[in-house]
Amino acid sequence: MNSSLALSIERSKTLRVVAKNWAFFFLLFFLILFSITGRGFLSVMNFQNIVHLSVIAILMASAETFVIITSGIDLSIGFVMGLSSVTAGKIIQILYNSGNHSAGFSIFIGISIALVLSLIPGIISGIMIAKYKVPPFIATLGMWGITNGIALKISNGFPVAELPDSLTKIGNGYTLYYKPGGGFSFFGLPEGVGNEHIRDYIRLIPNSFLFLAIVLFILYFLLKKTKFGQHTYAIGGNEDAAIRSGINVKKHLIIIYTLSSFIAGIAGIFNIFQTGIGNFTPFGAMYELFAVAAVVIGGASLMGGKGGILASVVGVLLIAVLENGLLISGVEPFYRFIAVGLLLILAIVIDELFPDLF
Amino acid sequence: MQNLNNHTRTGLLLKIGRQWALLFLFIELIFFSFMARGFLSLNVFQIIFFFGTAVFLLGTAELFAIITGGIDLSVGYVMGLATIVSAKLIVAFTKTGMGPGLSITLGILLTLVIGLLPGYVNGMLISKLNVPPFIATFSMLGISHGVSELLIAEKAAKNLPQLANTIGNGYFLYYSKGIGFSFFSRPEVARRVKVVEILPNVVVIAFILIAVFAFILNRTKFGQHTYAIGGNRDAAIRSGINLNRHIIKVYMLASFLATIAGVLYTLKYVTGKADAGASSLLDSIAAVVIGGASLYGGKGTVWRTILGGLIIAVLETGLRIMGIPTFDKYIIVGIILITAVLVDQFFPERTYKE
Repeated sequence: MNSSLALSIERSKTLRVVAKNWAFFFLLFFLILFSITGRGFLSVMNFQNIVHLSVIAILMASAETFVIITSGIDLSIGFVMGLSSVTAGKIIQILYNSGNHSAGFSIFIGISIALVLSLIPGIISGIMIAKYKVPPFIATLGMWGITNGIALKISNGFPVAELPDSLTKIGNGYTLYYKPGGGFSFFGLPEGVGNEHIRDYIRLIPNSFLFLAIVLFILYFLLKKTKFGQHTYAIGGNEDAAIRSGINVKKHLIIIYTLSSFIAGIAGIFNIFQTGIGNFTPFGAMYELFAVAAVVIGGASLMGGKGGILASVVGVLLIAVLENGLLISGVEPFYRFIAVGLLLILAIVIDELFPDLF
Repeated sequence: MQNLNNHTRTGLLLKIGRQWALLFLFIELIFFSFMARGFLSLNVFQIIFFFGTAVFLLGTAELFAIITGGIDLSVGYVMGLATIVSAKLIVAFTKTGMGPGLSITLGILLTLVIGLLPGYVNGMLISKLNVPPFIATFSMLGISHGVSELLIAEKAAKNLPQLANTIGNGYFLYYSKGIGFSFFSRPEVARRVKVVEILPNVVVIAFILIAVFAFILNRTKFGQHTYAIGGNRDAAIRSGINLNRHIIKVYMLASFLATIAGVLYTLKYVTGKADAGASSLLDSIAAVVIGGASLYGGKGTVWRTILGGLIIAVLETGLRIMGIPTFDKYIIVGIILITAVLVDQFFPERTYKE
């Protein structure tokens, strides 16, 4: 009798671990499944591709994580990203094509200005939300329209092209090039080796990884190890209690929305490095909604107080692996939308079934 | 006494504040009448309503969800799904040898029935499984987007009967000198004779339906319960309202209205398009919020939502006539949206069910 009780507790313990980290286990499950069904899925190159292509989604989800933990929402990040990408593109284009400035200088100036500008939408929505009690949904939806309109105006409805080649060289390059039996080199093919030999080399760790890892580490540290992060959770858990315990909630919320907007700005910079052009965000992209989806799949609650950067990254990767795996297995890409929808519902249902776990 | 004085002193300001949306619409109309050449004409006003039907219908759909304190992100893509389903069905029925009138009627009726399904699923998820409306309807957005892309990828719906175009782009009333009025069909006249077209069919259809739903919201028990749920959920449950069933009905209604918007789109453009309502997320919610509804629920009326939709529709048409790229529209709508909420907070005593 005693042993059966212990067994059932033990069993429920494993169940609890699985249920709590279901997104992670789901990810593992899909990795195994697609390794069997999709040819070429299980390769270093493909995994690197998956992460390389989800860099922007991961940044978006990280931005949304901070906001959602405070029980808010930021619908503007998708278009703030577009705005940042287009602004940087336009400035680089003007400086570089004037002929007076080097590519490096123009890129540096373009990025800096775009990043500073990307703070503004966040400051405005933050003030609206914190000071004037505009619901986050409305304030950021307003910003959604405004940033989208400005980005389209700057780019005149076309992507900003004619930018220096060094952008994509950095954005799509790898940290390490290695030739079996031959030498290896960092950040590019060894000198004197032409691009036609690139297939002989094993390319490891895309540059975007490296930058992403740095950004993610900072955000993770900020959320988990600092007072700022603690206060963020406190506000989401119980705003009144947070106010009473002396947290300057208004100021904190403004910083949170500014941070979210800034991360979206960084995503815009990644975007310009990866594509080599300044892109405005198309309507159907719905970056912000997919980011919310990833964060919720990762285990956060829209009611606030829960969630983490790594969990959100798992959420993004789950969607990305599903998409990539379906594609490689020869399934129509449109199932992506359906799959994300079903995953989301599953996430909430699991949350409902094990309410005490989280 | 002091309070009373304060009240009368600010009475006028308060009244204006409460009606700011109407005031804004007038300012808009006056502005464009001066700035946009040819704006002040019967034709342009009809165009505003013609292109505004989608915003009006989606706004009304969104309104029902918002009054209960929820939100429906899926209306735009449910509309897209409806355009494709109705177009495909009508083409399929025509192929079986049915007359154009019958196949259009059947196709539309069947689409309207199918259109209840996304709403039913939304409602079930939200009420029975306690999924937050944002998440449930976003899932439905993904699912209806995926399904419509799959349907269209097989084969785009082409060759709809000519009658669809006649209905969708026709007018309710035609007037020409000498012949007088004629309903529904353009009178046969010589080339030079001018025919005045009055009331586009789709606008008439849309407004009849909107009036029906306004009646449901204002004058029936169903409408009362909808406000009650949004106002105070616990009180609503205690007063014996079957909350789960009501929520399911509300989301079915929203998806039904989105489907109607989709069907009208099919009639107007004689084709189906998955992203027909993609950009409507901002517009439909903006219309509702400009119309004074609160995202916390319990407030809002259909006519004020139409007013909000009109502000957006006038803006869009006016800017287009002035030759300003529509990019500016997004900026202005965004600003109006935020302003709407700010103004509401400065004049907080508004009650909408007067």
